[in-house]
Amino acid sequence: MSEEAKVRAGDFSILDGYDKEMDPLEVPSFYRDLNIIQILDKIEKRWGRSVRRFYRYLPANRETEDYRRSVFSDVKKDPVYGALMKFVADMEEVSQIRGEKEKAVDPLQKAVWLIREIECYCDAYELLGKELGASGLSSEGMQTLRDVIGAYIKSAEYRGMREQTSALLEEIRSMRFVLTYDRDRISVSLGEVPGDGAYEEMVRKAFGGEKKTLSNPFIINPYITEFEKQCLDILKKKKPEFFKKLKAVASANADYRKKVLDRFEKEIVFYLSFRTLELEMEGLGYCFAAPGTEEDAPMRAEGLYDLALAITATADDRDVISNDFIYEEGDRFFVLTGPNQGGKTTFARSLGQLVYFTKIGLDVPARSANVHYFTGLQTHFSVEESIETGRGKLKEELVRLVPMMNERMKTSFVVINELFTTAASYDAIIMGKKVLGHFLGLGCMGIYVTHLKELTDKAEGIVSLRAMLDENGIQTFKISRGEADDVPCAENQVNKYRLTYKQLKERL
Amino acid sequence: MKVCLLYENNERLIGEGYYDQESIIQDLGLKSVFSVSAKDLVYEDGNVKKVEQEDLFLTDALRRVMMVPLRTKEEIVYRQEIVKDFLANEEQVRELYDISRDVVFKWGTLGKIPGEKAKQSNPVTRLTTDIRIIRLLCDSLSRVRHVMEEGWEPSSKGLKNFKKDLSLNFSREREENIRRVLDDISFYTDGSDEEDSGKGRTVKPRIVLESGLEDGLKLSSLKLEEVSSSGTKFYRPGSTMDKIQNFKNSLIPDSFPVVGDVRIAEQTDLLEFGVVSFLVDRIRGFIDEFQSFFTQLKFQSGFYLAAVQLKAQMERFGVGFCYPEVCGNRDMEFADLKELVMAVEQRVVVIGNSCRFDKKDLLIITGANQGGKSTFLRSIGIAQVMMQCGLPVAAARYKSGIFPGIFVHFTRREDSEMNSGRLDEELKRMNGIVENLREDSLLLLNESFATTTEKEGSVIAYDIIKALVEAGVRIFTVTHLLSFARRVHEEMKDDPDSAVEFLSAERKENGVRTYRMIRHEPELTSFGLDLYEEIVEKNVSI
Repeated sequence: MSEEAKVRAGDFSILDGYDKEMDPLEVPSFYRDLNIIQILDKIEKRWGRSVRRFYRYLPANRETEDYRRSVFSDVKKDPVYGALMKFVADMEEVSQIRGEKEKAVDPLQKAVWLIREIECYCDAYELLGKELGASGLSSEGMQTLRDVIGAYIKSAEYRGMREQTSALLEEIRSMRFVLTYDRDRISVSLGEVPGDGAYEEMVRKAFGGEKKTLSNPFIINPYITEFEKQCLDILKKKKPEFFKKLKAVASANADYRKKVLDRFEKEIVFYLSFRTLELEMEGLGYCFAAPGTEEDAPMRAEGLYDLALAITATADDRDVISNDFIYEEGDRFFVLTGPNQGGKTTFARSLGQLVYFTKIGLDVPARSANVHYFTGLQTHFSVEESIETGRGKLKEELVRLVPMMNERMKTSFVVINELFTTAASYDAIIMGKKVLGHFLGLGCMGIYVTHLKELTDKAEGIVSLRAMLDENGIQTFKISRGEADDVPCAENQVNKYRLTYKQLKERL
Repeated sequence: MKVCLLYENNERLIGEGYYDQESIIQDLGLKSVFSVSAKDLVYEDGNVKKVEQEDLFLTDALRRVMMVPLRTKEEIVYRQEIVKDFLANEEQVRELYDISRDVVFKWGTLGKIPGEKAKQSNPVTRLTTDIRIIRLLCDSLSRVRHVMEEGWEPSSKGLKNFKKDLSLNFSREREENIRRVLDDISFYTDGSDEEDSGKGRTVKPRIVLESGLEDGLKLSSLKLEEVSSSGTKFYRPGSTMDKIQNFKNSLIPDSFPVVGDVRIAEQTDLLEFGVVSFLVDRIRGFIDEFQSFFTQLKFQSGFYLAAVQLKAQMERFGVGFCYPEVCGNRDMEFADLKELVMAVEQRVVVIGNSCRFDKKDLLIITGANQGGKSTFLRSIGIAQVMMQCGLPVAAARYKSGIFPGIFVHFTRREDSEMNSGRLDEELKRMNGIVENLREDSLLLLNESFATTTEKEGSVIAYDIIKALVEAGVRIFTVTHLLSFARRVHEEMKDDPDSAVEFLSAERKENGVRTYRMIRHEPELTSFGLDLYEEIVEKNVSI
């Protein structure tokens, strides 16, 4: 469908391909393994729970990824980001007013809240339209949005609504009347007081201080109080035409919202939520990059880090290690070995995140990157907190492996972290090689983290990576190509860092 | 507004005051000074007819002020001048004190302590309390202004400033403004004041305001045009007159009654509350400005009232007084200096001493028991403390330096048993003093280190005193440690510019004590001690 046709059908989506029908509760399996949950927890704090669902769904084709990537590149431009953030804030005000309207009981008050809601809504779109018109937009999605908004605010239907509501609000706001409380009665008359607030002026002159006016004494009550209702009843008698018109305009515009824009309002939060996180993390010294997507160039990244770790680490002010990697021509699978606590899992996770963020059309946590197109993302991490051990754990691992291996997508990216740790090594080596062979046979790319150096044995497409130690045998958390060693005994290191059971008991 | 009668530019006492005030008060017997100053004397035909009960607030005020020394001559003169003003105008200081005491008390009964946030959670009660406080402040300030402006002309800088500040900060114009608003909102409190009920009249408000409509059709951007209260005749609800009145009112066009419907009545109360608290908020600065004024005035005028009453007591017990003068720290001169506490407590005629020390750092007083040595030492201590808080002292003339650090180290004979625990305690106290010594310190030692052998005590005293004097501390010591005294004497006797002075209680040849101190080298009072001293000297002066 062309964009125009989509717009006409009310189907325009700034996410394109986000499926409204998908079950928002379904969480992809890689989600937990890659610690995406922690990233979303962080995003949710600012943007609310509803934003999560947009991150759950992987676009079904390359075009959608590209579409989003170009939208995001527009969103990242400061004036566009600023305009959209302002718009979101304005829309929050609209829903606040809508909340007031829904709470209101008095039909007149309801009507006025609606008129005010429309005004706020129109202001927001007019401002956004103006800002987008003034910014150079390069993405198809944002250009369409600009045109949709432009057409909308020029439409006769919109103009009519805008004029009527403005006139009404103008009249309400300029209405002045005098309340006189005397002899146990309140009387109401149209007009102004002769002294323009003579008493408060007298008091201000006498006692100084900045100008302050008396506030509505019934303000804590959002409804129209009986007192105010009595006043309004008198005003109604005095201005019957106005109140009649108010009712008419309100009922004609009760359903004022534009459907196609409703969808945009919800979806734009996807980009803004990530951009906000990016800016915050950039402020802490982390970098992000729009990934290149050239299939002919090797898949690689420089300064790749685990975003989830970075988010949780900021509080403790720990350094988050970043790594470079490259899949040279013919490389299909990294097999990563090295000492415990050497950064293997973190690296695997960051690789998975790289593919994930590329797939959903956003920036990746790296200095620069080129990422190939994959139809899917498969992960398998051992469940550390699993109460199962021995045969039970092996069984559980295998059960989870089955659907992965059954997913016969040609070009999935596969992240496997420590399979078969509880099996006998002899068995584990054989099983590991089989699994690797399976995915290699399918033409997948990926990474396999293991303690078994035998899995790095030379084979087509297999690259051996190691988590490096420094000359003192201390973890550097750096990952690089190299032959797998036997894992060194960690006793000294543990002692050195005072991490034995006894030492920890003493320290804590 | 600040009271500033204790310091020209400071409302509160500056600094923490003397170290170990309890010891100073106890050893110098200052409690008697505090309490006697807190009692008013009632005269009849020139005789004391009645001694009023002690005002414990005054006792405390005097204690607190006396325990924080002034540091400059100007500060001392500032207070002395005010004391002079008030001695000539006793009525005024008494009134200032009475008014401020009254305010603090009434403020307390309103459920608030000046300077503290209201405890009431009910906003209406809080508001009416605020209104009453404003009224109380207004009335009381106007009384204070009256006291300051009628019938006398203060000559001290402090009182002149106070009078000027008051007429600036509580001008007649300001008072009028406040009273006008108070009158206009009297409808809010008058109904609940006891004196207004049962008179057949009620006070009713008239409020005119302009309003617009907010987006939610609620009243907004209000302009307050008119507020006033007027008394009207009260008719019993439901009575014929009430009905007639209601009917007449109902003829007002485009109006609705605020009585009858509970909701409207409640909301009208809110309106009244809103208007009144808006106005009270504007005046609240007045409360803030004066919230600690009366607490301070009570305290500060309390100090001067105590001074005035102390002077009356001194006259009553035949003790003269003078305003001390400030001179260099190594000099001291006084004439007819009397021990005030003894005069007050024992009501006997106390012998005055006259002395002059030039460039002396150490004063050693020796001599027979019961010769008035301790009394003499105390008289200096008391005078010094009184001088340093701006009070007159019990002497014909008193001239001394300023010692922001006054330290006392007294051993009271009756409990000076010889044991190591007592010595330990003495040394510990000395250690505390040493830790807290500052520039311009004066140390009064009375029979220090008498809790051990004379020999040991002498060595300890010698070492400590020598070190302290060298560090610039002035020391006046009464001692029985003759080996100590002799040793010092031996060292200085050939030096005409010695910084040490020896005094002794005078004893006539017939053995009669005069209770006067005279210059006298330390003498040996008995053969035994002489012998002891020699042995000690041999053992010590290596």
